[in-house]
Amino acid sequence: MFNYYVRLALKSLRRTPVVAALMIGAIALGVGVCITTLTVYRLMSGNPIEHRNDVLRAVTLDNWDPNQPWDDRRPELPPYELTYRDAMALFESDIPSRQVMMRKGPFVVESDPALGVKPFLVEARLTTKDFFSIFDVPFEYGGGWDAAADQGAQRVVVLSKETNDKIFGGQDSVGKNVRLDGKDYNVIGVLAEWTPTPKFYDLNNGSFDGIEEAFVPFNIGQIDQVQPGGNVNCWRTQPLNSFQDFLESDCVWIQYWVELKGRDKVEAYQSFIDSYVQEQKKLGRFERPLNNKLRTPEEWLEINRVVASDNSVLVGLSFMFLAVCLLNMIGLLLAKFLGSAPLVGLRRALGATRQTIFNQHLVEVGVIGIAGGVLGIGLAGLGLLGVRQLYENYDTLTRLDVTMSLTALVIAIASGVLAGLYPTWRVCRVQPAAYLKTQ
Amino acid sequence: MLHMQNISKVFRTELIETHALRDFNLHVKEGEFVAVTGPSGSGKTTFLNIAGLLETFNSGTYQLDGQDVSRLSDDDRSRIRNQKIGFIFQSFNLIPDLDLFDNVDVPLRYRGFNAAERKKRITESLELVGLASRMKHIPAQLSGGQQQRVAIARALAGTPRFLLADEPTGNLDSLMARQVVDLLEDINRRGTTIVMVTHDPELARRAHRNVHVMDGQVTDLQPFAAKPLIRPEAVAAGV
Amino acid sequence: MEFRPILSAMLRNKTGVFLVGLQIALTLAVVANAVFIIMQRVEKIGRPPGIDSANLIFAQSYGFGPNYDHRDTVRRDVDMLRAIPGVVAVTALNGIPMSGGGRQSGYTIEPPTPQPNPTTSNIYFVDEHGVDALGVKLIEGRAFTEAEIQYNENPTNSDFAPSVIITQAVAQQMFGDGPALGKPIYDNLGQSAIVIGVIENMLGAWVGFDQPSNVMLQPRLSNGPTIRYAIRTEPGRRDQLVPEVEKKLAESNLNRAVTWVRPHTYWVERSYRADSRMVAFLSVIVSLMVLVTALGIVGLASFHVSVRTKQIGTRRAVGARRIDIIRYFMIENWLLTTGGVALGLVLAFAFGHWLSSTYSLPRLEPLYPVAGVVLLWILGQIAVFVPARRAAAIPPAIATRTV
Repeated sequence: MFNYYVRLALKSLRRTPVVAALMIGAIALGVGVCITTLTVYRLMSGNPIEHRNDVLRAVTLDNWDPNQPWDDRRPELPPYELTYRDAMALFESDIPSRQVMMRKGPFVVESDPALGVKPFLVEARLTTKDFFSIFDVPFEYGGGWDAAADQGAQRVVVLSKETNDKIFGGQDSVGKNVRLDGKDYNVIGVLAEWTPTPKFYDLNNGSFDGIEEAFVPFNIGQIDQVQPGGNVNCWRTQPLNSFQDFLESDCVWIQYWVELKGRDKVEAYQSFIDSYVQEQKKLGRFERPLNNKLRTPEEWLEINRVVASDNSVLVGLSFMFLAVCLLNMIGLLLAKFLGSAPLVGLRRALGATRQTIFNQHLVEVGVIGIAGGVLGIGLAGLGLLGVRQLYENYDTLTRLDVTMSLTALVIAIASGVLAGLYPTWRVCRVQPAAYLKTQ
Repeated sequence: MLHMQNISKVFRTELIETHALRDFNLHVKEGEFVAVTGPSGSGKTTFLNIAGLLETFNSGTYQLDGQDVSRLSDDDRSRIRNQKIGFIFQSFNLIPDLDLFDNVDVPLRYRGFNAAERKKRITESLELVGLASRMKHIPAQLSGGQQQRVAIARALAGTPRFLLADEPTGNLDSLMARQVVDLLEDINRRGTTIVMVTHDPELARRAHRNVHVMDGQVTDLQPFAAKPLIRPEAVAAGV
Repeated sequence: MEFRPILSAMLRNKTGVFLVGLQIALTLAVVANAVFIIMQRVEKIGRPPGIDSANLIFAQSYGFGPNYDHRDTVRRDVDMLRAIPGVVAVTALNGIPMSGGGRQSGYTIEPPTPQPNPTTSNIYFVDEHGVDALGVKLIEGRAFTEAEIQYNENPTNSDFAPSVIITQAVAQQMFGDGPALGKPIYDNLGQSAIVIGVIENMLGAWVGFDQPSNVMLQPRLSNGPTIRYAIRTEPGRRDQLVPEVEKKLAESNLNRAVTWVRPHTYWVERSYRADSRMVAFLSVIVSLMVLVTALGIVGLASFHVSVRTKQIGTRRAVGARRIDIIRYFMIENWLLTTGGVALGLVLAFAFGHWLSSTYSLPRLEPLYPVAGVVLLWILGQIAVFVPARRAAAIPPAIATRTV
């Protein structure tokens, strides 16, 4: 019977090719646009560290201006980053199983002149050793450094895959030297391809930029007075006439993450940072009300509004567009089905039950939905090709994957069937007698 | 009133030519009630379409109410249909979405009468056919005979000089058919010229004059010449 | 002319009418808001940058190693760059306007109080060629002189310059309609500087900033090891000079890396990319929506024509001219569209209100939905014309055909 219905559906669609094309085209366009914007949205709103969501926390303390909140529009939020002195103080705690303080900084990279690579500037991340382990950073060669390297500000470096390709042509460079700002660093690790999108661990310095090109121990920044490479925000009226002034200032510029396994640890750490701030208040700092927050990566992405409102607006508009396409389809389908009411009357007279008429038309609607969905996937593919022109550097991420293709098909069939229910119901109510009289 | 002289109508396709009418001549005087009869395919419908200015013809001349209508533009033909001709169709052709009032109103709208005039005419003509009380009904709520009477009211509302009826009782049972024919006779007595196309000899007999069409030509101009055409079974059924 | 009977005929097909009406309503709501957003973005992208963006090249140099001498490098670089044929003017500076990165601070016209209300401004450190090199228009006062250019060996310092040039926007905000020239302004440490010039306009670092033209030029040489140069070229020579500048800088000094040399438009495009993207996305959605709605109208009208063939023939038989038939469908469509846009106006404003409250976008201007109404009227009439003309071509003789 099902095959019979499919055959009838195809025949019916062929009988009115323009209307059929309009209906299938409408669903395909609606689905294509929705899938395109959804893919972009998903790219923007992904949580690349979802599997560690329960144990990772971004640490924020409210050391901001007593007269003015950090963010006028969301006064409940503490600054996104920490001061150097507070980061150093928190780092003393042994409550977190692992923790990392870090920031960005520029370095010029020189390599062995024999390699023929001109000196070039990189954005490096100055970080403590746990960066690689708590964020599950994949290594191609070697690995990260140890506590001694952190303590002693040893001149070791982990290169990104891209940098290693550039200098060493992708060879295992562990043990070789590169010069950063005129000083020799020993390569101890090379990362594998790693593109966390968004760059969750530092959302305030280009959340959709690639990762840093090199990683060196945090303390080197202080010893060599490496200028901050990311945002620096200051509020206190205080002259800053040396690097030391800057390090001791209330300017925020350090990102800080901890790993806390279990509820107890989270609570213990919260009371640790609260009592730290209470101590500081006695010294005349932290004049705002106590407002220290530990955020999961998911909360952190949300708070930093990584998904630009533009993307949400686009997704909303796309679905309104889909609604228009569906209304279009319902109208055409209704006209088409009711136009074939005399035929239905004849079928009813020949013994078709309401149920069989319903099934027959539902199959037709399903065929339209599937055709629209398949065409819609194609259109979404085209759409994403266009999107790739708009979003440089996102090639790998704006590809239509299996999930989105399936989503497209499901949306198309579901919305097609949903849209087809009313016309189908209407055509089922055709009275056999009504259309059999001569007109 | 209606003068057709040597009218020819040819339908051409790539393969064949069909002569629907050839050297067709017909003259209808003012006030006459003429029945045009003939078997299927004889050219009756083509005659009707040409007489009603629904179709053009290939050669010959056609004068309606003293005016040569052979070479008029589409718009002019519309205007004459609207002002001088009233149509009654076999399948009534009422507009299903409109109530009786609005159905009768259709030609009057195109005539450009003002609202008061239209209302007067609609009421009068619906009264004439005995359906004034059902003005707000839609056609589907009426019987076939009633629908045809609405169609007659629509044809009459514009006070045409000339009424063209195409098998007006073809879709009706005998009782309803008789009512419709009585109505037509009554209208004719009031001075409206009527040409009626039918294959029903009983009906044809009620006209002043019968015209028999065969193979696209008028074959017989005798009044009441329907005798040889009576089908025995029709007589037996008492039609 | 014949609204009432058309309307009552439409009301017998409520569902179909309602569906198309709703479609038109949604289309209006989306198109009005989307076009409103598009126009805002287009306006934003089209703002005059104040600087001679089309003829500007920016270059960045990063010094390293023990032999790097910042002041000497900069002096040699600007001399060398100024000597290149086709170069109009060159300044060393600390940042790139409209690049998305920069320096800003608050200033007051009185020494700061404990709760100051400062005017926030972008700051660019330039040399005595700054005004010329950026191509900004000086409308009052003068440019900086060589003697005014400050330099502090210590990279971390809170120095303020003795004199500044501000944009009209800053002058307006700080001094209102009064004169700014010759007046002192204060930084948050209470250090003062005299306003020696006012420039017409210049966009600062952040194109999305709510006071994008709050910009101040200060006569200072930015500390190393990073230094940037603004190189203004003769019209039409920019692209040809980019590689030349890069080559000359790279060869002239081996104690630094030339990070990049790029035309200014590179940053302009980058900074407006999100806006351009939004414009592109929305334009596609709007066009497709208008297309789908138009096709929907064509489809339904065609369908009605085919269903009503007999009826149309009858109308023709009883005296309707072709134009009357066309008019019937046009009026029917106009009534439908009018019903749709009436609902659509409500939806458009509701949607606009929701957008502005949820995403803090500006409030929808009434002009857009109203223009949308006119657009949809015209669109509907155009869309229905094709099937209407087909309807008018139905021969009146259809009326005498049985079945």
